[in-house]
Amino acid sequence: MSSDIIKRNNVKTFGRGTQPMVFAHGFGCDQNMWRFVTKAFEDDYRIILFDYVGSGNSDLSAYDPDRYSTLQGYADDLLDIIRSLDLTDIIFVGHSVSCMAGVLAANEEPERFENLIMIGPSPRYINDGDYVGGFERKDIDGLFEMMDHNFIGWANFLAPAIIKNPDRPELGAELTESFCSTDPMIARKFAEATFLADNREDLKRVSVPSLVLQCSDDMVAPEQVGEYVSGQLANSTFRKLKATGHCPHMSHPEETVEQIRQYLTATAAA
Amino acid sequence: MRDPADLLDTAPCGFLSFADDGCIKYINQTLLNRLGYNRDEVADHHVEMLFGIGSRIFYQTHFFPLVKLRGRAQEVFMLLRARNGDDVGMLCNAVRREQGNSADTECVFVEVQERKKFEEALLHARQESDRANVALNIRAAEAERASALLQTQAVQLSRQKAELQAFNEELATLNEHLEQQRQVADEANQAKSNFLAVMSHELRTPLNAIGGYVQLLEMEVHGPITGEQREALGRVDRSHRHLLRLINDVLNLSRIEAGRVNYVVERVPLADVSRSVLPMVEPQIAAKELEFHSVLPANIFATADAEKVQQILLNLLTNAIKFTAGHGRIVLEIGRESESQVFLRVSDSGQGIPAAMLEKIFEPFIQVDATKSRTAEGTGLGLAISRDLARGMKGDLAVESVPGVGSRFQLNLPIAK
Repeated sequence: MSSDIIKRNNVKTFGRGTQPMVFAHGFGCDQNMWRFVTKAFEDDYRIILFDYVGSGNSDLSAYDPDRYSTLQGYADDLLDIIRSLDLTDIIFVGHSVSCMAGVLAANEEPERFENLIMIGPSPRYINDGDYVGGFERKDIDGLFEMMDHNFIGWANFLAPAIIKNPDRPELGAELTESFCSTDPMIARKFAEATFLADNREDLKRVSVPSLVLQCSDDMVAPEQVGEYVSGQLANSTFRKLKATGHCPHMSHPEETVEQIRQYLTATAAA
Repeated sequence: MRDPADLLDTAPCGFLSFADDGCIKYINQTLLNRLGYNRDEVADHHVEMLFGIGSRIFYQTHFFPLVKLRGRAQEVFMLLRARNGDDVGMLCNAVRREQGNSADTECVFVEVQERKKFEEALLHARQESDRANVALNIRAAEAERASALLQTQAVQLSRQKAELQAFNEELATLNEHLEQQRQVADEANQAKSNFLAVMSHELRTPLNAIGGYVQLLEMEVHGPITGEQREALGRVDRSHRHLLRLINDVLNLSRIEAGRVNYVVERVPLADVSRSVLPMVEPQIAAKELEFHSVLPANIFATADAEKVQQILLNLLTNAIKFTAGHGRIVLEIGRESESQVFLRVSDSGQGIPAAMLEKIFEPFIQVDATKSRTAEGTGLGLAISRDLARGMKGDLAVESVPGVGSRFQLNLPIAK
């Protein structure tokens, strides 16, 4: 069971510390995205990286369209890993949609978590009355349309080619070149689970202390959303980065590391 | 040779380069023309300004991580946003070049117009087929469920059918047995009735002779007789009468059972029939000093055989007198029982009949107490005959009784209007 999950989610463990630091990648990426920041924590922590089923080098045969139709399926991946490694005192670092997977997991087993560090979180991307998520439904549909156009080539050419040529893994690799995901149809489903989700109620139930890292000029998770998230969480610190865009751990790894380190030092001292 | 920058500006594809922070470094004239911008409007702006919102998300979540992690992107479809708001579908190849501390991403864009239309048609067809598939799957699942249900029901039905068949066969066998037994019983009954009818007739002939010769002797046809002889002849005569009555009753019963009784059914005024019977029993009533009452309204008519009704009533009254001690009370009533029936009822204040005996008294040769049969003379056939006659006229004879208080016999007959 345990080894199945390690293989299923392509779990990688390294570092010289004992306290686990679990890094969870966001929509559109895989565990490689953390490679600019993990080095900084290797000496003091046990680093755990993984790919959600359907992303990176996960086991595609484990993909279940029903399970992964909502973020709960992704939270269950996270819980499966945490339970099979029997992790406690976890420092969870999530990017983008993974912040909500972390919230769902921490609400289910709060005693295993010490901190939740959220980079660019959003509990709901679509505006709703007074709530500003940053997008209208038609914007999200525009994203879906683009993904559809990208996967049509895959569906009509590459998928049959991959199925017919299991001895030619480079065909799958080509796909990874353009998607960071081995299966664009799964990426499309992940997009729906991410951008149509509403986890605002789940924020109120979080008891684990948290840090919200907010980028400047992040069009995916605008500042208003980051403030909203921090405001809804019971014991939360809000930090705004100079970094712009949605992926500070890739574009501005030094500043991201520095902010995480400061927060961990402060909470350890308290 | 042409200036390479000039060449880039007139190339039949878009060219764009931007820094890691998204800041546009260079854009060629072809792309500017296609999107409707001046170079000044876009220079040093964020590359997101050239994207629609969906593309911006895609850029942040896919495109940027891709080129950052892998250094290139190939054949990625992106929607660029023209100045006038139009979305322009383009295929993009990109490469990221690191130069010292900075890195630039250089992209080539080729517009896909005809191909996009084709793809859209394909996508539409795919979505339609997906929807149809989903609907089909739902239908198939429903059909499967229905079929499973039907199969279960069919299995149940066939099991029930098999059970019913087995049960039917058992019933048929039982029926056959019963039919055989009934035939045997019918034949036995018929034989018994025939035997009784013949025997009764054969017995009556010598009895009539005995009766005739007793009368001749009493009339001293063959010479004078003594007082003692007369007394003895009286006893012979009484025994002869009793035996004759017994034989007559047996003959009647066997005739009824053999179905050889004819009923002359007519409209019978019950009051008249009742009055015709009373003289036959009045001497016995007087002898036992019994109190007798009758209620005989004139408008009660039965559809029956008057003679048989007389016979039944006589039997009931004789029984009542027989089983009621001196100074007791007997009541005869007629009336309307229901819309369709009239009744004729004889009540007495006699010894009554125990509950266990109530039905048995209608069986042949039964009297309530065998030891009393000597005091209560009779053949034990009267009630059996009476009930058979009542039923032969589509009526019935029933009894209610409380031991020590009395009995009430009621003859019901079809009403005549």
